[in-house]
Amino acid sequence: MVPPVTRDAELISDLYNVILILAAIVFVLVEGLLIYSVIKFRRRSADEMPRQVHGNRTLELAWTIIPAILVAVIFGLSVDTLGRMTARGTLSNPVAHVHAINDVAARQRVERAQPVDLVIEVIGRQWVWQYKYPGGDGVTTSEQLVVPANKNIRLDMTAADVIHAWWMPELGPMIYVNPGEMSYVWFNVPPGDYIGQCNVYCGVAHARMISRVKALPQAEYDEWYAKQAAANSAATRPGDPEIGKNIFLNGSCIACHYIEGTKAQGRVAPRELTRFASYPTIAQLDGFENNAENLAKWLRDPQAIKPGTAMPNLNLKAQEIEDLVAYLLTLK
Amino acid sequence: MASISIPIPLRDYAKNGVLGWLATVDHKKIGIMYMVMSFSFFIAAGLMALLIRLQLAAPNMQVVDPNTYNQLFTMHGSVMIFLFTIPMLVGGFGNYFVPLMIGARDVAFPRLNAFSFWITLGAGLVMLIGFVFGARSDAAWTAYVPYSTKSFSPTVGMDIWLIGIILLGIGSTLGAVNFLVTVYSMRAPGMTAWRIPMFVWAMATTAVMVLLATPVLTAALIMLVADRNFNTQFFTANRVQLWQHMFWFYSHPAVYIMILPAMGIISEIIPVFSRKPLFGLRAVVISTVLIGLLGFTTWVHHMFVSGVDPAIERFFMFTTMVIAVPTGVKVFNWLATLWGGSLNLKTPLLMCIGFLATFVIGGISGVMQASIPLDQYVHNSYFVVAHFHYVLFGGSVFGIFAALYYWGPKITGRMFDEKLGKLHFWLMMIGFNVTFFPMHFLGLQGMPRRIATYDPGRGWELGNLVSTIGAFLIAFSVLIFIINALKLRQGERAGDDPWEGNTLEWSVASPPPEYNFLEIPTVESDRPLFDARMRTPHI
Repeated sequence: MVPPVTRDAELISDLYNVILILAAIVFVLVEGLLIYSVIKFRRRSADEMPRQVHGNRTLELAWTIIPAILVAVIFGLSVDTLGRMTARGTLSNPVAHVHAINDVAARQRVERAQPVDLVIEVIGRQWVWQYKYPGGDGVTTSEQLVVPANKNIRLDMTAADVIHAWWMPELGPMIYVNPGEMSYVWFNVPPGDYIGQCNVYCGVAHARMISRVKALPQAEYDEWYAKQAAANSAATRPGDPEIGKNIFLNGSCIACHYIEGTKAQGRVAPRELTRFASYPTIAQLDGFENNAENLAKWLRDPQAIKPGTAMPNLNLKAQEIEDLVAYLLTLK
Repeated sequence: MASISIPIPLRDYAKNGVLGWLATVDHKKIGIMYMVMSFSFFIAAGLMALLIRLQLAAPNMQVVDPNTYNQLFTMHGSVMIFLFTIPMLVGGFGNYFVPLMIGARDVAFPRLNAFSFWITLGAGLVMLIGFVFGARSDAAWTAYVPYSTKSFSPTVGMDIWLIGIILLGIGSTLGAVNFLVTVYSMRAPGMTAWRIPMFVWAMATTAVMVLLATPVLTAALIMLVADRNFNTQFFTANRVQLWQHMFWFYSHPAVYIMILPAMGIISEIIPVFSRKPLFGLRAVVISTVLIGLLGFTTWVHHMFVSGVDPAIERFFMFTTMVIAVPTGVKVFNWLATLWGGSLNLKTPLLMCIGFLATFVIGGISGVMQASIPLDQYVHNSYFVVAHFHYVLFGGSVFGIFAALYYWGPKITGRMFDEKLGKLHFWLMMIGFNVTFFPMHFLGLQGMPRRIATYDPGRGWELGNLVSTIGAFLIAFSVLIFIINALKLRQGERAGDDPWEGNTLEWSVASPPPEYNFLEIPTVESDRPLFDARMRTPHI
């Protein structure tokens, strides 16, 4: 298992280690008996006739009752672990995983649970996770979720289209994120970078629906947040094609877009971007000339330019847009 | 007084030409057609698996594009389950051997039997031809809504897939009725409950499961077809779990539909090749029936992270773990049968040993995943892919090859080449474990199933490369089996009973005559042929 960093993940890992020992004992016993029998009882002469044993009540009772006890122990340990994960006073989920969005009582239970320092709204959509921060600054990200370290975080999650699953192996239990329902996740992590990915098959770019969590010390987090809030309104430097390329290839763009010779092998978008800069228009939209200004507009909100296009609003920052424009216009 | 004999002209369907096969209602010919059909689908789905493994051999490979990859794993799973494992075990071996083992001349409804076969083949061809001509589903064999609805899977490939599975359901439901009536009413005189061969017990239990489970899946499939094409609203948002409940109500029992007949097969072969009676025969029968019943109480363990009420989840965790007990009883009974026996280590027994050695690993990992906290980690990961391949390949496929080596001589009248058989076994055993064991680690390292590719640096490179190498070893071993099967023509004659069998099929010629038994035998024990041999002094 991936080394756990939260209490929940640790409880799961501990349970796994105990059950693995029991499993190993059964494994060695059965395989040992099998190998021993095959070697010891090989037919040595064509006419040998072994003793005709039809059964043995004591033995049969033993190998019914002992496995039953073993299974009861595993059941007990599992229920105990579940109890610890949701015990009063623990951060993690004292309520069920998923609730219908209109389930007011469930929502109240979530609100009444252990107080948290930060609640982030998460929307899973084909094939990206979008994170919406509270407060009026309109800070949203989709490449990674940045959180303050060692603080209680809650994610309020839902899906915009099909079922997705939130799986960060180091951070605790996996959970489905269903359309039309809410899923909640609690965690508290030390500083570091954590990675996971969508774990319910969700379509052509399912493999590229990566989730990244970056936990920063509070001061660094505040700095990051301020920068995001500022970058939301204006870019601070001219676009850099290298940075733009990085954003493109390491983000969700490659889920749908194709650029020859790179990791971008998505085939959802109707045209490939290998020679994007030489196209006369953007998104095959008559009169929407392919230039830096229009491209920036497009990236800011594709749906506003061409309603119904498959490209979602990725909530890109002004600076990210500048960098992406610089990169895309190098593709000739 | 002179007598004249007038030859009775053979009916068309009793002949051997093309028409004879097309029009046959003989359970043996239908069984052979099922076997040939299923094996062809096995090859097709196996080739798909090789493409899948090639794509995953290294990070960011582009052997196929992601769309094709998703269609490949969808079809690989669907074909292996619905068009290979189930029709091979139930349609193939069930058809050929259930009547022979119970001393009957055919199944109860021979024409219905032929209908079941042709509808199964038709459904398979619909799915495969659709696939070849580009009408492909990419929604995985589980076809979860809303991904499989019109909004997210608009192509006709999804409809073709759904219709194919509906037709297959009709075929297997009718087949199940046929088996149940046959076993219930056509057993030879003297064949009381405890004298019914283990394979027949397994088939009867399987038939009950098919009868109870399939209608629920068929209903779900029809509801989805209606949602997609007639604007009904069965699976709208907020009801994503309804599909999962209905799908798994069939598809979890389907696992037992695929494993019980294989267990029945090895319960036949192990005693014959050990020269001992099956240890604890009654316990094995009771376990078989219990697995069949409990198999209906575990389906929610596929939904532990879907958002089911926690109390219900705990109930299903309990039932899932309970089912390990009768399964364990069977494993220990097989081991006890081997213990102290005189083991004739020919290919059929080797395949059974392969079954035992690998199925146990699948059983153990099954109990691990039944634990809700562990499932919250390994659910949908490669750990699960490893687990169900240990059950369905390690169990069912080893069982199928055991049956082919064991009963092949009865069907063809010729013996397989033993050396090639052993080579096949060892290559498959090694290839299987090299392919699937590393997947446990991949899953624990966080690799989800059904991903078309992955980035380097997640610790998944080595496991995937090793797994791909193993897949080609398996393919090579199957190639050896095909060569061995093609060489059967020159094989040594099998005679009626090459293995010193226990059950009635070994009392007739190989291949058996059309009417099976000239005279319906009377059965006086659970091993009629063994007892007959004991009565005849050695020469």
